[in-house]
Amino acid sequence: MPSSEKLGNFTAQDAPTYESVLQCMRCGFCLPTCPTFALTGRERSSPRGRVALARAVAEEKLEFSAAVKEEAFFCLDCRACTTACPSGVKAGEVMEVCRSQAQQQSPPGHIANSFRSFILQRMLPDPDRLEMSMLPARLYQRLGIQWLVRHSKVLKLGPNWMEKAEGMLPALDAPLRPQLPEITPARGEKRGRVGFFLGCVMTLMYPNVSRQTVRVLAAQGFEVVTPPTTKCCGAPHLSEGDRQTARELALFNLDLFMQAEVDFIVTDCAGCGAALKEYEELLESEAAHDKLVAFRAKIRDISEFLAEVGLRTDDLQPVHKSVTYHEPCHLCHAQGISRQPRALLKQIPGIELREMNEASWCCGSAATWGLKFSQESQQVLDRKLNNVKQTGADLLVTANPGCQLQLAWGVREAGMQQEVMHLMELLGEATPEG
Amino acid sequence: MLSTTIIEQLKNKLGPGNVVSEKEDLLVLGYDSTPGIHLLPEVDVYPTSTEGVLAALEIAQREGLPITPRGSGTGLSGGSVPAKGGMVLCLNRMNKILEIDEENLTATVEAGVVTLDLFNATAAKGLFYPPDPGSQKISTLGGNVMEDAGGLRGLKYGVTRDYVMALQCVLPDGSLIQTGGKSVKDVAGYAFKDLLVGSEGTLGIITEVTVKLIPPPKDKRTLLAYFSDIRTAGEAVSKIIAAKIIPSTMEIMDKATINCVEDYVKIGLPRQMAALLLIEVDGHPAQVAEEAAAVEVILRQVKAAEIHIAKDAEQAAGLAAARRTALSALARVSPTTLLEDATVPRSLLAETFAEIERLTAKYKLNVGTFGHAGDGNLHPTVLCDERNHEEMHRAHAFYDELYDQVLAWGGTVSGEHGIGIAKKEYLARQIGAGGVKVMQRIKHAFDPKGILNPGKIFADDRE
Repeated sequence: MPSSEKLGNFTAQDAPTYESVLQCMRCGFCLPTCPTFALTGRERSSPRGRVALARAVAEEKLEFSAAVKEEAFFCLDCRACTTACPSGVKAGEVMEVCRSQAQQQSPPGHIANSFRSFILQRMLPDPDRLEMSMLPARLYQRLGIQWLVRHSKVLKLGPNWMEKAEGMLPALDAPLRPQLPEITPARGEKRGRVGFFLGCVMTLMYPNVSRQTVRVLAAQGFEVVTPPTTKCCGAPHLSEGDRQTARELALFNLDLFMQAEVDFIVTDCAGCGAALKEYEELLESEAAHDKLVAFRAKIRDISEFLAEVGLRTDDLQPVHKSVTYHEPCHLCHAQGISRQPRALLKQIPGIELREMNEASWCCGSAATWGLKFSQESQQVLDRKLNNVKQTGADLLVTANPGCQLQLAWGVREAGMQQEVMHLMELLGEATPEG
Repeated sequence: MLSTTIIEQLKNKLGPGNVVSEKEDLLVLGYDSTPGIHLLPEVDVYPTSTEGVLAALEIAQREGLPITPRGSGTGLSGGSVPAKGGMVLCLNRMNKILEIDEENLTATVEAGVVTLDLFNATAAKGLFYPPDPGSQKISTLGGNVMEDAGGLRGLKYGVTRDYVMALQCVLPDGSLIQTGGKSVKDVAGYAFKDLLVGSEGTLGIITEVTVKLIPPPKDKRTLLAYFSDIRTAGEAVSKIIAAKIIPSTMEIMDKATINCVEDYVKIGLPRQMAALLLIEVDGHPAQVAEEAAAVEVILRQVKAAEIHIAKDAEQAAGLAAARRTALSALARVSPTTLLEDATVPRSLLAETFAEIERLTAKYKLNVGTFGHAGDGNLHPTVLCDERNHEEMHRAHAFYDELYDQVLAWGGTVSGEHGIGIAKKEYLARQIGAGGVKVMQRIKHAFDPKGILNPGKIFADDRE
């Protein structure tokens, strides 16, 4: 939401628009959907309260104060409030822009800042450097975890976060990006040519998931183009309030994929998908409108895409398991995709889908939120695991790496039986080698 | 600014996490859902028990601090806005369902329990708590009782008042009273309970509520009728009532409302129609079949454009949920939604719609109307922009003239939202100076120092 004129006590760059905060009529429909309000019962930690704070800053009734910054980062950015709001207020987006305000108006101290820019501006924008850091994983730990250890105080990470960060790290295979061919040919009757947007967390932490995504796409008759120079989608930058780097990355990816001449651009990471769908707004004043519209029209989450083109089910082999599905916030709330993953699950022979209560309630991962607010994150996770437990399902399926990390860790810690999988791993299991 | 001593005393009594006085906290507890009203308290407390409420009240009393009780802040007349500053007392952390008594068919809850949570908990035991205000997902029982909230089922099942059996209440002098009980009959002395219901937090602070539960209806059927003229919809409602049929729900939405709601829910509501009626009949299956058929006959007689029957409970629930979003969905159109709560005898519905149409044209406004048609309770909502003072002036003139007519017809200025700050003048117009004086004397008897939710319902006689 860029605006040229300065609004109240916001800076001119990357501020909420007045309309976006005035739209809230304070009915409170968002309150029962907000995990942080459920935790605290404190109005300022609710979407309605946060939008009211932003409005007060816009109306110069309040400085962009430490408490406003605190709320901008305490918000999980799960967007459940956006789904719940009949008036069309986007409290999550308002808070995301406020995170950028926080970086502009009260920049973090020197050490925290150098760490932050190291990760956001040097590591994430550069896939080679990222992979170097992950190979071997030891080095990752030196670069990542040790940095975090040293600066846990300035970063305000929660208690016991380190144990959690280490515990969450899955067994690491070699990153997928260098292994994937740039072009994977279609199998069977060809149905089109799609670009695959391989996310950073997917290539580094879940290479086997994305390998299945590409394999399934090919088996479904699509030629898959995976540009090896793809950069980070910018979601971590938006989430940390670094909108400038996010714009640079977005511009690069926009050009890269528009040159690839693909019918669609598909991703298996809900966080990436949500960010890619926001390029249109993010780059409003940086790229041609038509180009942005054309790009936006091509973006699909993998489940959205497969449900839209129709799954070829003739060759699928049965998987005799009961499944419960956790909806990633950035899929169901940020992209409005709820029906499609379930439809795909039901099309896999042998799968029995058991709905859990509150399937679209956040798991408490939310990018770095789970490390910054580790106690609160545990409470949100416990609520989720309790709902999972009640289904008694064999598998807990989701569609986003952040959720998968958090849920796999939570299930293990709680001694539960469920195997945690990405939807595409399951679909991969049902898709015969060929 | 309050002295730090008072804040410390409150923290000692209520726990440090239950008292907040940062500017940011004060800012977000100075509003409810009423447009254009935002005032600041000096301290917010979140008691977690009746003892906490008593302690907060004792300190407020001693310091002469005004005290405004608040549930979830979903009110539509400014009832929980701190008109005179002081302390906002939030009851949303007192949210335990204390008992569901299956022998006496009652439920006892703390004041901060959310209405829908109570509904679900009783439904799980095969019982039914009917009052269902539009904000039932958020609103609290304490707030419902204080505003005497209505809802979609009011037509057949009545409003909150009809279900309140007992209240535990803290009075401004610091005493704790119990009024009513689980006995079905009770004529022992003045009916304090009935005085407290709908008193908008001006007489006492409710800490516990005992409500009546009933067996749920065995069957229900939902009909949806579309109209090319909203007056025909009003005529249909009057005829159904005159035919001695009492549906559980008879809700209306006009074209503007239909379109805003459809923008949000996307369930295929008819965008081109002038109005729709959502009608639900419930009860014994034989009665349901008979009444649904009779309703359909009347709808055909008045020439409804289309009549549809919900295919299953899920679709019916979806329609009711869509209707509940009406007010918030109207807020998509404009920054400010100014709504009213005019209620008329049901035989006058068609005339009321005609009057709303006339005044909308006269004052050149954009108005969306929805409401509980079966109760004669309409929510004409002006879609405007609070930054446009001239438009706001026209909006108020619109309501002024509308209320003159509503009162001339024997209607009321508030069916279910209360008077609060927003409608004090209209109330005075309805009940006259004598009526206001009696209310002031009652208030004085309960709250001689005037510390409890001051500035609400009527002008303070000491001002």
